[in-house]
Amino acid sequence: MTKSEVFFDGFWHNNAIFAQLLGMCPLLGVTTSAGNGFWMGAATVLVLLGSNLVVSLVRGVIPKNVRIPAYITIIAAFVTIVGMAMNAWMHEMYLVLGLFIPLIVVNCAILGRAEAFASKNSISDSLVDALAVGSGFTFALVLLGGVRELFGQGAIFGITVFGDSYPDMLMFILPPGAFIALGFILAGVNLINRKLKARAQQQAQMVQMQTVQTEAVEAHS
Amino acid sequence: MKFDKEQLQMVLALFVVAVIAATLLGLTDIFTRGPIAAAEKEALHSALAQVLPAHANDAQADMFVIGREKQALSIYPGKDKAGRLNGFAWEVTAPDGYAGSIRILVGLYPDGKIHAIRVTGHKETPGLGDGIVNNAGWLAAFAGQELDSRNWKVKKDGGDFDQFTGATITPRAVVKAVKGALAFFASKRELMLAAVAEEKEQP
Repeated sequence: MTKSEVFFDGFWHNNAIFAQLLGMCPLLGVTTSAGNGFWMGAATVLVLLGSNLVVSLVRGVIPKNVRIPAYITIIAAFVTIVGMAMNAWMHEMYLVLGLFIPLIVVNCAILGRAEAFASKNSISDSLVDALAVGSGFTFALVLLGGVRELFGQGAIFGITVFGDSYPDMLMFILPPGAFIALGFILAGVNLINRKLKARAQQQAQMVQMQTVQTEAVEAHS
Repeated sequence: MKFDKEQLQMVLALFVVAVIAATLLGLTDIFTRGPIAAAEKEALHSALAQVLPAHANDAQADMFVIGREKQALSIYPGKDKAGRLNGFAWEVTAPDGYAGSIRILVGLYPDGKIHAIRVTGHKETPGLGDGIVNNAGWLAAFAGQELDSRNWKVKKDGGDFDQFTGATITPRAVVKAVKGALAFFASKRELMLAAVAEEKEQP
């Protein structure tokens, strides 16, 4: 696979949220606003970069039987480091997200990338994969957080959109709103995927028809 | 006991991973310990600036402790330019929030009236219980009140303080904790004033 294929696969086709429905806990827990979603995503990207890098570095060295505890140790170390750094330099955000940062350890999306990708691929491919999956995850968090913040509080990234008279739809801030918004987003993603697939099929058919035509013309002459 | 080569490899691999992880964590701790302490101090500083009446001193530097061991409580006194005491602040914990305990910084005038309260730590439901943090009107209802001036309960329980739509437990816990702080101050007022006076004598 080329780097751009690796990226697009991680970002869209195998998107941790849209395609695999992994990492639901941080997704539903922190996405009460777009800003929270973004910073949770950023923390996840950092952890993914670290864990994919190290796992790719030690691939072939770690015996197969103990690879999962080894990966978890690596991931937990990076999560703790990111949490400490956030506490030190982004203290206010840490107070909001602090509860969810340690839970990145058990985000299956990260262990999944270590197991399914980084342990089998080169360091550079693993880093691209980490960026792709991480930014795909962040994109999903921001999208869901944005939808919930917009309908729940009439704002995006803390900036009021609907004006002061907007009656806050509390439900979107609460857990049921997360599930409902996620459902609609998944429906939208599936719609886009179907359109993409249909267009690809159409193009394939056109190419096929053209070749048939050229062949026919060639046979004729 | 005898290990075969494969087992030794596994033990060694996990050992090396654990050692590297521990080293990284130790290094990170060294680098972040200072900034974390500074950030916490800064957070407390801005919270104190909100709950204490306008003061000229460094309330954190003037902090004194009353009580011993488990009962020990850090009190932050506020003083005006002339060095006269004009407020106290300390942190109380409401153990009965909807999701765990709620930490509240309470700021009082020396006569026992509330200047302001701020919630410094909580895990309440976003959008429901977290009105105790961002509902300015609700927080303002505490200003100027003292132990006898209000019925320290939420309206649902027959008191004077609003609950929130869909959240009664959270404000109930906060009101109860603030009342506890006022009662505590009433019983310890002399002690606190004496502690401040004492500090003045030994600069």
